[in-house]
Amino acid sequence: MKELNQDQIRLQQLQEILLKGDRTKIQELQDILDDKTLLSERVAPIVKDHLDNLRDNYPEQYRAIVKDLIEQRAVKLEFLINQLQGTLDTKDKLSEKVSPIVEDHIQTLKENFPVEFKKVVNSQIERKLKDSQDEILNVITPVLGKLIRKSITHQFQVIKERIDSQIRGTFSRKGFFGRVFGKKSNVDDTDIILSNADALTIQEIFVIQQDSGLLIGSASKDTTIDKDVVAGMFTAIKAFVEDAFQKDEQELEMIEYDNYKIFIQNFYSYYIAVIMSGSISALERGAISEKLYEFAEKELRNVSKNIDSKLTDRISNQLKNYFFEVENVQL
Amino acid sequence: MISKKIILTGSFGVGKTSLFNQFIFNQFDDKYLTTIGVKVNKKNIEVDGEEVSLLVWDIAGEVSQDKVPHSYFLGASGIIYVFDLTRPSTYKNIQGDIDYLKEMVKGAEIRVVGNKSDLVSENQVTEIKEGIDYPWDIITSAKTGENVNELFLSLGKAFLE
Repeated sequence: MKELNQDQIRLQQLQEILLKGDRTKIQELQDILDDKTLLSERVAPIVKDHLDNLRDNYPEQYRAIVKDLIEQRAVKLEFLINQLQGTLDTKDKLSEKVSPIVEDHIQTLKENFPVEFKKVVNSQIERKLKDSQDEILNVITPVLGKLIRKSITHQFQVIKERIDSQIRGTFSRKGFFGRVFGKKSNVDDTDIILSNADALTIQEIFVIQQDSGLLIGSASKDTTIDKDVVAGMFTAIKAFVEDAFQKDEQELEMIEYDNYKIFIQNFYSYYIAVIMSGSISALERGAISEKLYEFAEKELRNVSKNIDSKLTDRISNQLKNYFFEVENVQL
Repeated sequence: MISKKIILTGSFGVGKTSLFNQFIFNQFDDKYLTTIGVKVNKKNIEVDGEEVSLLVWDIAGEVSQDKVPHSYFLGASGIIYVFDLTRPSTYKNIQGDIDYLKEMVKGAEIRVVGNKSDLVSENQVTEIKEGIDYPWDIITSAKTGENVNELFLSLGKAFLE
């Protein structure tokens, strides 16, 4: 690079001094042009003065300019509206525009949900659980009861079967006559008749609201007296017994008269009373209980508090189908 | 058709069973047989074209309501509190008994009933009304059947509202 001589340097310094003021002004102008707000602040009063002048002194020109501006704006607006309409009408385009916004919101919601909504959600869940307490218990009780009953029944079954087999060998008619008279015979007709005469049969079945004693549904082999009254009286007897012999929330489970037994299976908001004839063993009782739990689980999950004939008819039909339609229901 | 449970309660000998028999069977018997425990029966009534099944529990009378087994009240939609217009001892503590019942069976429709109206004159009714600590809803006579059906009908209407 060619070195500058002394004169040239001085000349440059002189130019610097002379142009310094202009440079500052140019920079200021550049800043104004770059900053829209600043530009608007500076230019707007000038434009306004000009427009005022035009309006006052040259009204026709002023109107023409305003009209022109409005028309330009209208064209721009129309273009934008068409563009917007196109976006709205096209699913993909709309999705393209909206999806990021929605996703953003979802993401924000995901991140902040536990903090912002925890209290609201908790209180809602608590309220819902409180309101639906009866329904929840109605659903849970049969399942829990069934599990517990199943386990206990199984253990009892094992023990009983062992005892039964020993007793059968020792005290059966066949064994007895065999032992006493040395008779070699198979099981005779008398044994079969005796065993059938004492067979367990379900006569009637009632599903009854626990507190009120109102009948939810019933089915029976034969027509009997007013079932509503029977349901009410069962509940009254049950209430009396449970009140009179209050012991650690125990409930009445069996009433016996003559050759009949009324087996009561308690659930949370209702109970089922089964009237049976014949003798009942612990194993059969367990089997009935199992069947009742099964029925409750399937059909009585959403039993309403308000009982009407529609509900009663529905449950009665289900009871009939479940316990009486099939001949000789296997217990 | 909806079903509702109604309790007949009050002191002994006020005529609860007579009201029960008059309403259910349209019968009245002068003989007094104290109720043991509870008696239950049912009657369907028609309210504004709609049938309502009423399961009525006639509870053995007790001097004070807190002596009645708690479980009898459970699930009741209506309570008929009966007192005897001829025996002041049966209406001297209505306020206390009603407060207890309201606490015991929340939301139930309660009717306070002065029974045996056939045994008192109109003047006596006015006197009793002035001296009582709680306003009654209706006066009835189980013997003549006066207002008995109306009493149960008013409950039926309330159940449908």
